[in-house]
Amino acid sequence: MAIRVNPRFIDELDRYGAEDVQLCYHCGDCLTVCPHADEVFRFPRKSMRLLQMGLERKIETTLEPWLCYYCGQCSEQCPREADPGETMMSLRRWLIARYDFTGIARAFYRSRTAEVLAIIGVALLTGLFMLFYGFTYGNLHVYDGEGAFLPSSFIHRFDLTVGLVIGIILIINAFRMWYFTMVKGMEIHTPWWLYIKHLYLLPWHFFSQKRYAECESKRETRVFMPWFTHLGLMLGYVIMLVLVMVFIEKLQYGPAIVWPVHIFGYLASIGLIIGTIYFIRSRLNKTYVQFKKSHGTDWVFVILLFFIVITGITQHLLHRTGLYMWANMTYVLHLMFVVPWLLRMPFSKWAHMIYRPLAMYFAAIRRDALYRAEKQFSSASITVK
Amino acid sequence: MCMCGTNIAKIVDVEAVAKFISSLPHVELVRTYKYMCSNPGQEMIIQDIIDNNLDRVVVGACSPNMHERTFRGALRKAGLNQYLFEMANIREQCSWVHDDPKEATLKAMSLIQAAVRRVEYHESLESMAVDMCPSTLVIGGGIAGTTAALELADAGNLVYLVEKEDKLGGNVKRVDLTAPYLYSARDLLTERISRISNHKQVHLFLNSKVKNLTGFIGNFTATIESQNGQPENRKTKEVQVGNVIVCTGYKEFDASRVTHYGYGKLPDVITSFELEKMIRAGRIVTKEGKIPQYVAIIHCVGSRSQEFHSYCSRVCCMTALKYAHEIKSANPECYISDIYIDMHAFGKGHEDFYRRSSEAKTLFLMYEKNDRPVIHRAGPKDDCEMLIEVNEKLSGETIEIPADLVILMVGMEAREDASEIAHLVNISQDKDGWFIESHPKLEPVATTTDGIFIAGCCVAPKDIPDTVAQARATAARILAKISKGKIEVDAVYSEVNEELCSGCRLCNKLCPFSAIEFNTEKGRSHIISALCKACGVCVSACPSGAIKGRHFTGQQVLAQIDGLTAAVQYEMP
Repeated sequence: MAIRVNPRFIDELDRYGAEDVQLCYHCGDCLTVCPHADEVFRFPRKSMRLLQMGLERKIETTLEPWLCYYCGQCSEQCPREADPGETMMSLRRWLIARYDFTGIARAFYRSRTAEVLAIIGVALLTGLFMLFYGFTYGNLHVYDGEGAFLPSSFIHRFDLTVGLVIGIILIINAFRMWYFTMVKGMEIHTPWWLYIKHLYLLPWHFFSQKRYAECESKRETRVFMPWFTHLGLMLGYVIMLVLVMVFIEKLQYGPAIVWPVHIFGYLASIGLIIGTIYFIRSRLNKTYVQFKKSHGTDWVFVILLFFIVITGITQHLLHRTGLYMWANMTYVLHLMFVVPWLLRMPFSKWAHMIYRPLAMYFAAIRRDALYRAEKQFSSASITVK
Repeated sequence: MCMCGTNIAKIVDVEAVAKFISSLPHVELVRTYKYMCSNPGQEMIIQDIIDNNLDRVVVGACSPNMHERTFRGALRKAGLNQYLFEMANIREQCSWVHDDPKEATLKAMSLIQAAVRRVEYHESLESMAVDMCPSTLVIGGGIAGTTAALELADAGNLVYLVEKEDKLGGNVKRVDLTAPYLYSARDLLTERISRISNHKQVHLFLNSKVKNLTGFIGNFTATIESQNGQPENRKTKEVQVGNVIVCTGYKEFDASRVTHYGYGKLPDVITSFELEKMIRAGRIVTKEGKIPQYVAIIHCVGSRSQEFHSYCSRVCCMTALKYAHEIKSANPECYISDIYIDMHAFGKGHEDFYRRSSEAKTLFLMYEKNDRPVIHRAGPKDDCEMLIEVNEKLSGETIEIPADLVILMVGMEAREDASEIAHLVNISQDKDGWFIESHPKLEPVATTTDGIFIAGCCVAPKDIPDTVAQARATAARILAKISKGKIEVDAVYSEVNEELCSGCRLCNKLCPFSAIEFNTEKGRSHIISALCKACGVCVSACPSGAIKGRHFTGQQVLAQIDGLTAAVQYEMP
């Protein structure tokens, strides 16, 4: 059965950043230079082709975009300046939108105005809600303990609610990803136990970001800085998230510093601030090829993160120096950045934190299933003889 | 005898051969030398002729194709007629192809002995010179014909330009813009056409054909038949010309021959020339008058296939990109799929043009040479009129491409009347019907018939710059001949002994160069020496033995055979 080509798709992907994909004439240089491509996952060339022809139904079943960590060597090598690296990035954006059942991601990627308006709206609502709560139940001059402006127990409940919403959306989207890639996209039988065999890959890739480091394996002079900073940023982020979601009441216990919890908070803050500044600088200076082109959503990502870190640290300093009123005001401001940022997670680049380890896990299963099918096929043909 | 460095000497015992040759009757002097073709080698021959009063020379060396001219020159310098010379090829035909020194030496002895026996019967021959008529006949009034005509006429020579149609311009006048610089084709032609119609030196014959051509280089007589409207208005005119340029162009491939594409059945499957017509009219629309949303361009229609033509038509790839450009500028909302086998972007500016098409988001799709796309009518639910099914090579997927308008890039093929023209001017055609040039690389515009030149797409598919370059090349070749005033005719040709000729006319039809005419008054055949290439067909065919091939007489050839078969002896030292 022939698949219908959709020439309009290229215009759709244009909005996600794949501006130069049509320049590709399929020499295959990108595939050769890519440290991650192999005989099963032949990218970026194949992905470029599917995109050029607008084979949406094929693209949604591919794992390849997630297997790319954007080292940018393909784009450096490309004789047509078709920017395969950026194309893979755009495909990831498109896939995030495709996995997202709410359609919010799609709206954000296609319109910067929609995204900015939504963020401002959520920020204002959060601010108003916090101020309303604080002035109704607490005292602006009390930061923690009895009568606090924003008591930690309240924030804890609030965080958990937000976390639950995000979690549900992410689980549904991840399930959709599994359905597209492992059910619709699989022409061969996948034994269930392969899912157990490769399960360890999920935490392994999540915490090590190993593949990002492997991006440098084919380079003459290796640059590990992006990987290292990315890992720092990611770990800082995860630690901070866990602290805020689970240990918020310990963090705001009182004037004393609970070191077993706080030490993590400080470390995470350092990771976050270094990482954020590094990525903002890289995007401004376009240091590596992967930072040459920045989609609107990339900027929103780093800028929001930057403000969260700054307000978080300021709030902490003000609290420690006893300027409680100012600390409370900064807290509100901090939450006005945090809540939109958190709610934006499933609909933005942030979601790759979940999709990437999943993709690595699914890819291993798919590869294993393919080898098994091939083996069966070849042994079957021998028996026929 | 030449050793050709070690080329000959390493297999052939040159000294033994020299010793043997010096023992033959009538041999006065034998010399061996490392490089006989070098200046000292030639000087040696000249000096020996003068010192020893020699009257025949044989050189045993390489092929006469290589150095016969060189040694003939040496004879002339020594005051000897250049035809009193014979060359024995002991390199290409002996040392290079044998590895047994004894056999090779024996063969070299035989070859030189044959030459020695033959040269005894050589006669002094004188070449002739005939006048060159400065007028030229140009057949075909396309971009090539008009260019060549103007080039010759501007140099002050009379040109008879014959065009079959009622307008000049040929196939180029059917084109809107040209790739890759998007110059208007009309502008390219208008200037030429208006100059031609006002040029005193150009006699233009529209609605005309060349009916007959007789004579030879420098002295052709052409009969031009013009037809104006009614058959009774037919006029013929005889003109004298020295040279003829054939630039009759091509015709487009008939797309209905490729059944996969449904041309002629599906209303919106059109050829490239039909699209040109639309573009010139300023509206690219479907048969129903709608602006197409999806346009597909299919390359290589009739070209590069086993079934139709195996050659590439050279211009279609860039023309297709030009269409993509023109359609996209007329309707930016339109999506263009370009379905090709290979993208040939070989010329100046072509690669950049290809890139610009990519930038304009043309979707390029690749199909396998003998696995053609198939066009179907789309269903009622589809947002397009047609669907093109193809096994796409770059992705390995079987896909269907939406299309409202399909443009078939029809290739070029030789015109039906090409064989008529070939017969008229006595030139040959290749398997595809294109006229054959004298040498594909070194003589691209000359033919095997002296005075007949070919240019443009009647030789092979080519684009406008190449065609114009060829047209100007023919003009340059002819101007060189005109400026010389006379043409040398080789002294080696056949002649009829009128006393022996019975007038059977057997030779007339056989001559591949149309060099034999029949004198009805005398009842005898006559060979036009300027046209004769001395192939010898008539000599062997003549039942009365009345035709003699100069420099290839029976005596000469028999003596040579005798020399070859006479015993030779050689013992390895």
